[in-house]
Amino acid sequence: MKLYAPHVGHLEALEELLTGSKDIYGIYMAGTPDYVGTGRTNLSSPGLEEIAEQTARAHEEDVKMEVVLNSSCMGGQHLTPEGYNRVNWYFTQLHNIGVDAVTVAEPYFIEMLSKDFDMEVVVSVLSFVDSPQKAEFYEQLGADTIVIDPVINRDFEKLEAIRDSVSCDLKLLVNEGCLYQCPFRYAHFNFFSHANGPGPKLNVLDDYYYYKCLSLRISDPQQLIKSPWIRPEDLKEYRHITDTFKIGGRTHFPNWILNNVQAYANESYDGNLMDLLDCPRDIRDLFYISNKELEGAINQWKQCGKVCNKCGYCKKLAEKIIKVYTAEGCGNILKPLKS
Amino acid sequence: MTITDTLAKNRGELENKLRNLLAKPVFLIEMDAFALPCGCKGLTINTRGLQFDDLEIFEEHINEYLKKTSENLEVEPSFLFARLVPGTAEVASLNSRVLCNRCYMDFARGTGKQPRPDIYILNFSRRE
Ligand SMILES: [Zn+2]
Ligand SMILES: [Zn+2]
Repeated sequence: MKLYAPHVGHLEALEELLTGSKDIYGIYMAGTPDYVGTGRTNLSSPGLEEIAEQTARAHEEDVKMEVVLNSSCMGGQHLTPEGYNRVNWYFTQLHNIGVDAVTVAEPYFIEMLSKDFDMEVVVSVLSFVDSPQKAEFYEQLGADTIVIDPVINRDFEKLEAIRDSVSCDLKLLVNEGCLYQCPFRYAHFNFFSHANGPGPKLNVLDDYYYYKCLSLRISDPQQLIKSPWIRPEDLKEYRHITDTFKIGGRTHFPNWILNNVQAYANESYDGNLMDLLDCPRDIRDLFYISNKELEGAINQWKQCGKVCNKCGYCKKLAEKIIKVYTAEGCGNILKPLKS
Repeated sequence: MTITDTLAKNRGELENKLRNLLAKPVFLIEMDAFALPCGCKGLTINTRGLQFDDLEIFEEHINEYLKKTSENLEVEPSFLFARLVPGTAEVASLNSRVLCNRCYMDFARGTGKQPRPDIYILNFSRRE
């Protein structure tokens, strides 16, 4: 199994990850937002020297280094002569450093990287590859690896069709806590891309999508079950699709990441599923979902038509196993979802 | 009890009251006591899962709960308000604030419940 672990971007954290586990195959982190930016929240923006230092350190341990530049919206900057030159220069620097792979969401960058650079070209989840047709398109454009849109993580017919259609590598994001069929994905990632990309910087009121996303799950916790995460125990169900898995969570502490690496490397976790999901910490401290009690649910999801009002399986499962933390004095106790 | 214990206890109690009132697991992710350079001081309670509708329908109850929480923390509940995510149903926080003279004047001049798109006033006691 090839496990890719997230990394916040500074040497101390990298050191902890590299010494904390022998099960990490590759590490991925954001680059400097001044060139391309990324579609997710970033806590650091390592400069080229830092990327060089960390790449060398990872290579000492035989760990691959992947730089994620998956802005979902460049606002057209890459199509201007200055923009193109800037990005081209940056890719050249990453190549000279010896970075193994670059993850991008913009089709233009996929073609650019595959044509002129000798680095693994990875199609980001933010390219939303959810069909064999899109996978074929990106492969022809030059992709070496496609990270499949997690929205189809439980749609085996689609996954198998993609596997049959392309010969490039496939990667699955295992612990995404995003809403199933999340209506905010495009808008939210475009917003992040501008907030975490080349200027001009925005002065925003609040992250509307974030509030909304939390509210929807708090008022309707079955959404937590429907999210397209893959339990560590269920990795074996995906072996015929790929053996490469990616753990999401670039803003978490090394301990949290190592806990995930261990769970997925062992293909087993005895605890709260919320510990593993890369979803906002805010709701991690609200719900308890026993991972072991989810045993077998994948058999339903494998043959489910995803028409929730007809099926009702996730709703029933949510009512059965989700517990809510409730304050009592200064402590916390667990109560069932419905009391 | 230390101030942090008092905060913890009141955070939990207010959360439970809101959950019982609204029959859903509303979450108070952080309760802070603050003091600002202008002289304002008070409490901020960051909320998740609380909606503007809830405020409108249960205003009387929520007002009363917030007042009680404020009193428990020795903050005079003269100015209670919710901070909204403008243009949406989301309530970002509940607040109890003892206004400094200048900020008091800013609010005293206004009349409606929403002097700014992000502020919904639950209670504003005018000074003599
Ligand atoms: Zn844009
Ligand atoms: Zn003031």
